Amino acid sequence: MMRELGALTRRELLRIARNPQAIATSLLLPILYLVLFGQAFNLNHISSLSPVPLPPSVFLELYRGAPSYFSYFSAGMTGFVSVTATLFVGANVIFDRLFGTLKRTAASPARPSVIFGARLIAGSMQPIGLAFLVLGLSLLLGHVGLSGLDVTASVGVVGALEIVGAIVILSVMFASLFIAIGFSLQQPQTYFAVVNAINLPVLLTSAALYPWGILPDWLKNVASYNPITLAVNVLRENLFAGASAYYPYSAGVYLLGLFGWAIAMFLVATVLANRALAPQR
Amino acid sequence: MTDAIHVEGLSKTYNGTVRAVDNISFSVTPGEAFGFLGPNGAGKTTTVSVLTAQLAPTAGHATVDGIDVFRDPAEIKRRIGLVFQESTADSDLTGRENLELAAALFGVPRRDVKTRIDSLLERMQIGDAADRLAKTYSGGMRRRLELAVGIIHSPRVLFLDEPTLGLDPQGRAGFWRYVQELQKENGMTVFVTTHYLDEADSICERLAIIDHGHIVATGSPSELKDRIGGDVVTIRTSRTDASIETALRALPGVTAVSVQDGAYRVKAPKGDALVPVLVQTCVQLGVGLSSVSLKRPSLDEVFLEFTGREYREDGVTATDRAVRIGQVSQAFGRSRR
Repeated sequence: MMRELGALTRRELLRIARNPQAIATSLLLPILYLVLFGQAFNLNHISSLSPVPLPPSVFLELYRGAPSYFSYFSAGMTGFVSVTATLFVGANVIFDRLFGTLKRTAASPARPSVIFGARLIAGSMQPIGLAFLVLGLSLLLGHVGLSGLDVTASVGVVGALEIVGAIVILSVMFASLFIAIGFSLQQPQTYFAVVNAINLPVLLTSAALYPWGILPDWLKNVASYNPITLAVNVLRENLFAGASAYYPYSAGVYLLGLFGWAIAMFLVATVLANRALAPQR
Repeated sequence: MTDAIHVEGLSKTYNGTVRAVDNISFSVTPGEAFGFLGPNGAGKTTTVSVLTAQLAPTAGHATVDGIDVFRDPAEIKRRIGLVFQESTADSDLTGRENLELAAALFGVPRRDVKTRIDSLLERMQIGDAADRLAKTYSGGMRRRLELAVGIIHSPRVLFLDEPTLGLDPQGRAGFWRYVQELQKENGMTVFVTTHYLDEADSICERLAIIDHGHIVATGSPSELKDRIGGDVVTIRTSRTDASIETALRALPGVTAVSVQDGAYRVKAPKGDALVPVLVQTCVQLGVGLSSVSLKRPSLDEVFLEFTGREYREDGVTATDRAVRIGQVSQAFGRSRR
């Protein structure tokens, strides 16, 4: 089983590596968000426009302990890219079905769980890589005269592991979701319609981009359970000193909640993949 | 000896209404090349899909290499090779990488992988292109790669589902040459579906003709041709009536007479000897003749005989078929009657 899993994962990774245009496109979106959107929305400047400058505590409240909007936002961008970079993972399942590649794999003795697992492993690697790239680039921007990620806490081993765990679990969760949708649908048009119907509501009901302090209460309630919010909470609590005071739970609790989401999605995806790869009735 | 393939009462109905395969039964002996012949939509691909554990049947029983297809689909997949009618090789991988993937999925021992892949690449004449992406391959090369993928694990039974669809005559001849070589060397059972009559005639030791989901005839190509009673002489006359039919029937050597599309189809073991006699009879009866043609028994005639319809290969003319018959026969250095 491990040999089959390894061979299928290698196949998926080779295909990703041989499509540099797709890699470049996936890099473009987070870079534009960081270099343009994140710089323009430096809300701390609002204070300088006022005759009576707002005290720093207002911004700390607004950004849940982050020193600036960019710092708050760049942590949120890691969640954002976990969604956008996994969108095409499911589309590839549909294209593989249309081009016959999936038929060949399904006709082999490889178990459906192995076929699904290989796609999940390869499909999660790209968003994980992009998420770390976003963090790295955000840190770098602060050193070239632009707004950058200002890590005010000292991140220990546990904190670092929690950050890595949140990024990995979130990416795996969304890859599972979109692969499951890919296995369930036949046409790429339908897939993209369904994915858009999921993608935007999930992003816009999360705390990835909005300053938490300006959210209406009802949206805060919804966002609290959103998996992207759970993941970025883990990052923000670990990256910013004193941030824990602005969160009702510790990072570990959010990580656990995120894990629950991922398990649920993984189970649904496994069932759908098994059904799609079983002899058709 | 256990049949390589044994099918009993197999049916497949789609969506509860479309009966693609209807209560078919047949068996294939080990090492045999068995053809499943029929026009598009006859039920050929459905049958292959069921026998290769990709599709669950509505009713019936089937074994492949002694394994129940419906009870142990994973074991079936391990024992068979399958070449689809469409290209299924991964375009973004090289020919070699496609074979490496197949070797891993089908459990080829690691120590044998390189040797086997090199040997297959050479044999299929794609060794020079082994490290090129499959999307750069010509149609013929892709088909040969598909065949190599299908046999990488030395399967006991090889299913070929319209494997030469879209290939030119040379490509077809080459493809079948490889299949026949493999079959002879390994004693592999080959199950072929095709709607090309000439291919079925040249390749298969036995055939089943399927039409509208039913098997209408089974036998070797020569047996099937014998069943239609020898040569067919078609005469088109200025008029048709019962007296002409009676006179034709009474001629020595005539085994059957029928009227189709305003012409008499006269069957006789030696059609060429009958032609002058038929002409003379018509003259004696005072009937004008507009055409006389002699056809040796072919699978076209067999199909017409058993289904009551002329065989039509989509988009393929009789001339194309005649060219292919020549090509395929030449490739094997023989032609069956």
